[in-house]
Order: sequence, then C-alpha cells, then structure tokens
Amino acid sequence: MTAMQPAVGASTSSDMTINLGPQHPSTHGVLRLMVALDGEYVKSCRPVVGYLHRGLERMMAARPYRQSVPFTDRLDYCASLNSNLAISQAIERIGGMAVPERAQYLRVMLCEMNRIASHLIFFGTYAADIGATTAFLYAFRERERLLDLLEAYTGARLTCNWIRPGGVASDMPEGYAQAVCAFLDGFLKELDAYDTLLTGNPIFRVRTEGVGIISPEKAIAYGASGPVLRGSGVNIDLRRTEPYDAYPRTQFDVPLRTEGDCLARYLVRVEEMRQSARIIRQCLREMPEGEHWGKQPKVFRPAAGEAYSRTESPRGELSIYLVSDGTANPVRVRVRGPSFVHLSMLPELVRGVKVADMIAILGSLDTVLGEVDR
Amino acid sequence: MRLIVSFAQGFVSILKGMAITFLNLVGRRKITLQYPYQRPNVSPRWRGIFYLPYNDEAGRINCVGCTLCAQACPTGVITMTKMGAGKHASVNAFTMDLGRCMFCNLCIEACPFDAIHMSTRFELASVDRGVSLLTIDKLAQGGADAVERTKRTIEAALEQEAAAKAAAAAAKAQAAAGAQAAEGADA
Ligand code: SF4
Ligand code: SF4
Repeated sequence: MTAMQPAVGASTSSDMTINLGPQHPSTHGVLRLMVALDGEYVKSCRPVVGYLHRGLERMMAARPYRQSVPFTDRLDYCASLNSNLAISQAIERIGGMAVPERAQYLRVMLCEMNRIASHLIFFGTYAADIGATTAFLYAFRERERLLDLLEAYTGARLTCNWIRPGGVASDMPEGYAQAVCAFLDGFLKELDAYDTLLTGNPIFRVRTEGVGIISPEKAIAYGASGPVLRGSGVNIDLRRTEPYDAYPRTQFDVPLRTEGDCLARYLVRVEEMRQSARIIRQCLREMPEGEHWGKQPKVFRPAAGEAYSRTESPRGELSIYLVSDGTANPVRVRVRGPSFVHLSMLPELVRGVKVADMIAILGSLDTVLGEVDR
Repeated sequence: MRLIVSFAQGFVSILKGMAITFLNLVGRRKITLQYPYQRPNVSPRWRGIFYLPYNDEAGRINCVGCTLCAQACPTGVITMTKMGAGKHASVNAFTMDLGRCMFCNLCIEACPFDAIHMSTRFELASVDRGVSLLTIDKLAQGGADAVERTKRTIEAALEQEAAAKAAAAAAKAQAAAGAQAAEGADA
C-alpha cells in the first residue's frame, strides 16, 4: 500500500458513496438514491429512477381511448380513482362528452375518499420513516376501513377503475351514504387522536421543523404542486383555481402553510383530510338523483385535435395530454405527474443535510414511484 | 432551564402518546384476520375470478361467441372459438389467461348478453402458471358438464332448425311441383 492511498475505514477518506434503494423501506418503492456522504452529511444525491418503467404512455396510446383507463390505476396506485378522473376528463374533452350531474358528485366523493386513503398512507409511512411505528399501524387501520368502502362501491381495493369517460361505472350500493358517514364520524375522531400522537409530539416536531425548506420561488421554479406547493405558501389548488366536476358547488378550505418545511407539508396534508371529509359529506347531502353514466357512443372516434386536462390528485397536479388524429387510438398520451417533479427537487433539498433528515425530506415529498416511472 | 422545560414537554408527550396507545389496546376489537383460517367477507361487487353463468331454463351458457368482450379487453386475455350459427350459437372454447388480466371489468360491461361475470373468489395464487389459464371447463358455471349440455342444446337446436328448414324447403318444392303440375294440366 502506498502512502497516497488511505486505509479502508480511515477518517481521511471522508467521501463515501452509498446506494439507498432500489429496495429500501424509506424510498417507498423502487427508487435508488446514490448518495455521496461526508460522514453523516449528504454531499450530493442522485435519484435513479426507471425501475418501475412500464411504458404506460405508449401502452395507452396503442389502445382505443376508453381502454386506457385501467392503465391509469397503475400510475399513482395509492390514489387510482384520481388518476382515472384525469384520463376520463381528457377523453371527455377530446370527444366532447358530457357528464351527468349525479356522476359529477359521485366522482368528487370517490376522489376525496381516495385522497384520504392516500394521505393516510403518507401519514403512516412518514411517521414510520421518522421512527414512530404506532402511528403507521393506526393510519393503516383507518385506511383499511376506507378501502373496504371503496371495495363495496367499486369491487376493488386498490386498482378501482371506476371513474370512466362520461361518468362513473355504477351507482352507489344500497346504504352506502350511511356507511360513509359512519366512517367519517369515527375517522375525524381518530384524526384528532393522531394529532396528539404525532403532530404534538416534540420529537416529531424537532425532526421536521425547519427541515427541507422550500421557498415559494423555488417551488414555483421547479413546478411543484399540491401539498408541496401549498406548504410553501403558494395558494394554488386546481380544485379551486380551475374547478372541475362538482368542486365549484362544494365549500371547502384550502389549507395553506408558509413555512415550507417538512412539518408544513405534513400539516397541509393532515388538514386536507379534514377538508376532504367535509367535501364528501356535502356531496352525499347535495347529490341530485339521476344517471350515473351518460349514453356512450359504440365506437369512439374523436375528431383530430388535442386535449389537456388538469386535476388535483393527492400529490399535486396530475395532467393528461391527448392527441387525436381522428382514429380510434390516440396518437400520443402524455402524463404529467406531480411525483416526478417533486423528486427532481430532492438533490437540491438534501445537499448538506444529515442522512436522517434526507429520509424525512424524501418522505415529506410523498412520491409514488408508479407515477414517477410510468 | 430550557433543557428542563423541553424534557418535561417530551415526558408529557410520551404520557399522552401512551394514553392513546393504551386506549387502543384495551378499548378496541381486533381488526386483523388470521388469514388462512379466517377469510374476509368481500363485498358482493368484488371483482374476482370469472365465470360464465349457466342458464338452466335454456340448458346452455349464455355466451353466444360474439367476441365483444375480447375486443373490449385492453390486454387480450380472452380467446374463443364459436360454435353454431345464427340464433343458436355459443362457444366450445373460451380461454382466459388470468396472468394478463387486470380485473378491470371492461369485458363484463361489454357483454350484451350478461354472459360473463366476476365472482367473489379472490385466491389466485398458485405455484403453477397453467392454473391461471382458465379454459371453458373451469369458467362455465357447472363445469365441464354445463359445457357438454350447452353443446347438446346447440346441436339439437341446430338440427331442429335444419330439419325445419328442410321440411319448409320440401314443402316449398312440393308446392312448386304441384303448381307446375297444375300449370301442365292447364296447358
Ligand atoms: S377484466 Fe379487463 S383485463 Fe381482465 S379479461 Fe376483462 S377486460 Fe380483460
Ligand atoms: S361473453 Fe358475452 S361478449 Fe363475450 S363472447 Fe360471450 S356473449 Fe359475447
């Protein structure tokens, strides 16, 4: 060994590159982070994505329009109905389909239920990332009840595929409204308990307060959306700014925090769950009678053109761009997912922080790899 | 001083957390299932393994082999061969490769004859790929027996139709011959 080479493990070889993932509990999927460490501090971080790439955009473009809906279940698998809504809206726009009023309420209700389910995953896994396993178990217990409700409606727990171009595939089963209300009553109480358990916990606050601060300018520059953007004090919620379906007729508050740190994003999501519960109640109360699915054309061949639909998924802006050339299949389907954008902020956010904080920051962005890789 | 305050706060928060976990420990029914011994009651709308309902009155499965379901399927799960023709048609092979299926419900919505359903069976795991290839014998409600009966019903109906047609043709021919004979007599 020459004098130039430091011994293995010697403190002089300060830089070390480690791989976090692709199989690591904190990356929530198959994400690989190549992290250069200087002791406990992160010098640089490079996310390596693509392990879950399935070519969904191309697969959707190779099929008739209406057959692309089930593929969107596999985009953001924590909130499949929200993805269904995005593609359905794009198809409705390109084909000029109308959605019956009852279906609009049903859609909003389903989407908000899925939003709660998705935020509960965030809540649970974020707590687990930070080291609080109990909250994880509680969150998944509540989510389980919610998935049972989705199952009762759609027949599937995760890949629901129940929002379709032109409406919703079926109406509510009997006694569903009561079941949902009963769940919400219990859930809101649980949520208060979670607040005591986690939000008020000083250890949790120390781990998240002031960590991973995103300034509003940076959030806008990267194209962040959803709770990440609203945690930085930018008040943009597509359900408000570009309302669709029954959202213009529902009252809800858009939670906003100005701190821009992990705690702010966490608090925005927790508050969003309460607002979602409020929206679901309103939908159940105000839902008119009527059709749940308008009449469908047998063959669907929209005129040549393009359509873009923007929706507010639990993670942020999920948009779908469709190009039609007048045939039965789209020429191009493009998915603009929020998780991909948020993940691209990670290298800048984690520079110079400790490894444990990097996990906290990654968790607070709440990325879903199914939608990053597509 | 600050240290003491934060220590006290931490201590109180631990107590609060413990109170919640304790309440959950004693004040709650267990929600987990011991899976292989207990099975969940899934909703009646559950999208599980397929079956082709058997119609007892008609003595056949409903499917007429129109391939609409196969056309609606995004992943090409369904293949079939038609048997019979016209009003008396069904399938003598209907294969679904569940390894590719997304349980998306599109095939079921596409069927105009209510001839394909999803059951509440959800246990798909197996150690053999072949198991996920469902042939008509496994799909038809009532199994191979139902398929056999469908075949007989269709064949009988076709025979009957053919016989009726032949009889009609014969009657026509006879009538025509009679008319000719009458014409001949006239001339
Ligand atoms: S459920 Fe979907 S993927 Fe499965 S056979 Fe039917 S249409 Fe095809
Ligand atoms: S199951 Fe229904 S759609 Fe499919 S071939 Fe039979 S009748 Fe046609």
